[in-house]
Amino acid sequence: MLRVSLKHSSVIGMRSIVLLLSLIFVNGDLQLDANESDINWEEARKFWAFVNPVKNDPPNSNGDEWIRGDIDRFILFEMEKNGLDPENDASSEVLIKRLFYDLIGLPPSSDEVERYKEDSDEKKYEKLIDHLLTRSEYGEKMASSWLNVARYAEDQAHQVGKDEKFFYPHAHRYRAWVIKSYNRDLPYNLFVRLQLAADQIEGIDEEDLVALGFLGLGPQYYDRGRLEVKAEEWEDNVDVVSRGFLGLTVACARCHDHKYDPISVADYHALAGVFASTAMHKRELNNQHGSKTVIHVVADGKVQDLPIYNRGDVQDKGKIIPRAFLKILSGENTKKFTRGSGRLDLAEAIADPQNPLTARVVVNRIWQLLFGRGLVNTTSNFGHLGARPTHPELLDYLAVSFIEDGWSIKRLMKRILLSSTYRQSSFVSSDKRIKDEDNKFYSYHNKRRLSAEMIRDSMLVVSGELEHGDSGKKSGLISDNKNLRRTVYGRISRKELDYYLALFDYPDANIHSSSRDETVTPSQKLFFLNSPFVLARSNAIASALVDDDKMISIEKIYRRILSRPPSAEELLNAGEFIGSGKEKERWSGLAQNLLISNEFIFRD
Amino acid sequence: MNRREMLSRYAMGFGALGMTNIFGRNAIAANDSLAPSQRNFCPRAKRVIFLFLNGAPSHIDTFDPKPELVKHEGTKPEGKLFKAANAGFLPSPLRFDHCGKSGLQISESLPQLGKIADDLCVIRSMHCDVPNHEPALLQMHTGVLQPTRPSIGAWTLYGLGSENENLPGYVVLRPSPKTVVGPALWSAGFLPAKFQASSVITRDMSLDKLLANIKGPESSKTVQRQQLDLLAKMNESHRKRRGEDALLDSHISTMETAYRMQIEATDAFDISKESSKTRESYGNSDFANSCLLARRLAERGVRFTTVYYTKDSSNQPWDTHENHYASHAKLCAEADKAAAALINDLKSRGLLDDTLVVFGGEFGRTPYAQKHDKKKPGRDHHHTAFSMMLSGAGLKGGFAYGESDEFGMNAVVDPVHVHDLHATILYLLGIDHERLTYRYGGRDFRLTDVSGRIIHELMA
Repeated sequence: MLRVSLKHSSVIGMRSIVLLLSLIFVNGDLQLDANESDINWEEARKFWAFVNPVKNDPPNSNGDEWIRGDIDRFILFEMEKNGLDPENDASSEVLIKRLFYDLIGLPPSSDEVERYKEDSDEKKYEKLIDHLLTRSEYGEKMASSWLNVARYAEDQAHQVGKDEKFFYPHAHRYRAWVIKSYNRDLPYNLFVRLQLAADQIEGIDEEDLVALGFLGLGPQYYDRGRLEVKAEEWEDNVDVVSRGFLGLTVACARCHDHKYDPISVADYHALAGVFASTAMHKRELNNQHGSKTVIHVVADGKVQDLPIYNRGDVQDKGKIIPRAFLKILSGENTKKFTRGSGRLDLAEAIADPQNPLTARVVVNRIWQLLFGRGLVNTTSNFGHLGARPTHPELLDYLAVSFIEDGWSIKRLMKRILLSSTYRQSSFVSSDKRIKDEDNKFYSYHNKRRLSAEMIRDSMLVVSGELEHGDSGKKSGLISDNKNLRRTVYGRISRKELDYYLALFDYPDANIHSSSRDETVTPSQKLFFLNSPFVLARSNAIASALVDDDKMISIEKIYRRILSRPPSAEELLNAGEFIGSGKEKERWSGLAQNLLISNEFIFRD
Repeated sequence: MNRREMLSRYAMGFGALGMTNIFGRNAIAANDSLAPSQRNFCPRAKRVIFLFLNGAPSHIDTFDPKPELVKHEGTKPEGKLFKAANAGFLPSPLRFDHCGKSGLQISESLPQLGKIADDLCVIRSMHCDVPNHEPALLQMHTGVLQPTRPSIGAWTLYGLGSENENLPGYVVLRPSPKTVVGPALWSAGFLPAKFQASSVITRDMSLDKLLANIKGPESSKTVQRQQLDLLAKMNESHRKRRGEDALLDSHISTMETAYRMQIEATDAFDISKESSKTRESYGNSDFANSCLLARRLAERGVRFTTVYYTKDSSNQPWDTHENHYASHAKLCAEADKAAAALINDLKSRGLLDDTLVVFGGEFGRTPYAQKHDKKKPGRDHHHTAFSMMLSGAGLKGGFAYGESDEFGMNAVVDPVHVHDLHATILYLLGIDHERLTYRYGGRDFRLTDVSGRIIHELMA
């Protein structure tokens, strides 16, 4: 099916014809004149992601002893179907560490581990979850991943000379809002609406206007006065909103109908029109003490419907497309957006409980955060090119329960954390690893390397140097050796990502990112071996803990860094390395060894 | 070993992973509709050294002689102009000798390159999409005018992996941290982060300034080996408690690699180990030192090295809007000496046959003067015709491909777009630019987007 319009060929020149021919060649069925679409909507609506989730009863399984709740029923059913057995609960030491890292991004102290182990309360695990969910560090941990979804950054990839007029010196206000939202368990549907349209929702706190930083901190490209450059910025907006909230790659449909998903070039322009009608805006907020601060937000600009730009070429205009929501998610009649730019209409369409994707996408992101992979493994692509859910009924069960629970992230997390599925051991035989390749049946728990934030924060917390809290301060440079705040408060640059963050797989801040790599590179290990940051933490620990008694000092260092006492053998080996105990650098070396050990940088 | 474990084991970019990338899931899925039957090509080059002249050198003062301009001196150009012509055509005052046996014409501002003209392959019909530095720099590196796409070095590493596990596979050498556009030029974009370049600031060639964390405090050297033996014991017993585990294994072995890198990279990056004769042949400039370092890296299996011509005093020295000829002479003197020495050095070591050297900027400069300034005329940005010089990799020597018109205004015979240059570089490396794809955000991306013509005529 090839319908190529060559009506412009006389003006587009030889190169473009070559380009055009290679387009056809590469894509085979590519449709270039996309004013009308050949999507069979009725058929398209049958794809799983566009069918509304229903709460199915969990299946029955044999392993009653292992099952703690409905999640486990879904998981065990699939395991049994594939000839797999679940693992038992991990040990108390492992579980308390796992919960600490997953909920607050920091390790527990040795005392906290001891107390937890000795606690005989049957409900101690649940109590610990409840406690961690109330700690202010929880929001800091959760924000770390949302900021990547929102491609948060404080500057631009392009800078002409020393021009900083497109930078965002007050970006940290948005970050603080995200942290606070997680801590107060802001319902997710409101979290969505505020970030897209807080300026158009009546009766909200002025503070919540900061949420608009989701759009207001976006990339502004070089020479942005030109229409083709503006079109690039609109594409960024369409991309971050559609992948971030809906798990759909709508930006693919900018030049032609999506090749795989029921998203037309008209759908793209209907959404792009919303952002074309929206402008970057600096707004003044009144502080409590009468002073004013600036926040980076958006406001409605000149409201306009866009023409289809054929093949993405802004000079080649097709018919005007009214601003509207994606047809595939709109039922029989696509609802046009009428209020101002249409951002509020868009926000409401996304946060609508009848939207089949929004709850599934966020529930899946939380699942990914806790297990290292999503039930849909492509967490920002639920379309045909994305992965299919490994446990579709569980995903739907979680999505529907999530909405019933008032879109509460904390309740969702607690529901998952209480399962036996989450509590499984990560110590498994290679047999099991071969049988459950990629662990897609969740027949054990994935061991994971700590993130950039967790490695740095954990080193600072065990050395006793971490400066807790935000207190509304601006971002600090991670590379500044005097900066002892949590990593989430570091300055994020589109132009040049901090060396440390890039080293440990923090994603490129220019684009939406749905997951972190967990690479292992020699440069990371060189950082561990020789960086002033690691050496300073090692020295701080050694000077704080070493006294006359060599063996007691070794034990203190182990407890402080690994939250456990050394084994007899470890004590012996460490004692041998320390020697007479008079060389200061050997004590620092021991502390450094524990800080850079696999035990420290992995969570089981 | 499952896929995840395999990936992490090969996370340092061994060749094996590169091969799975070319023939593996990503690439094949992208080409299902084409039912691929062709293999990738036999590689002519194993590595690339790109000498980048930031700010854009003037083509009509280097590789593209335009005697016709003399007749039209002062006449304003006709046709569509992207940059205003306040003054008329400005012929080059430089002599273009017929160099070498081939008689390839090269300007007297590049005497050393002139001496090795028979090893040079010049494209005189380059063109790109815009005459502005930022987008044109991005296009020359990533094929696209806007940031966030992977650079050609990252694509190369993704396709081929590295040859030396103890060194990064893609290295950027820049004398000054001030580089127009900056890291977006050498980023991995949406490719896995491990394919991005390691950027090295070269104005100070002492090792600890060149390489982050390559050296610890001196005093700890005596105990570091003992310390790492103790660490290995700890990590070993940690791993044993967890059964077979390729991921933990790779962390243990990578720590040892890092330890060795302290020695190996220390050696690779130390140009003081070169003879004074060699050092003198390159010259005494930041650019020269970087070129020499690039050769040491190429020798040790670094896949893609870009050397930028920048200075602390200017982030794009070749952008000669004013007093063009004074700057041009100085810049050429340094660049000519270093580039010719590099090519000679590679040749004498038998490395030129499988190394591609590229020499040029993001575009050219206007054949007309920018302002009425007879004494110190300047040249503006010019993107519709410019030159690029290649050498090595089995390319024709003493050869010029393509032509610009009689004024050097537009590429008219065999025009070569940036995409075509990229397609050709990948071809020389044995990669089919249409098959090197990466699926991101639901789409299969290529370095050459939907274009790219391999210029077979350049190959001997």
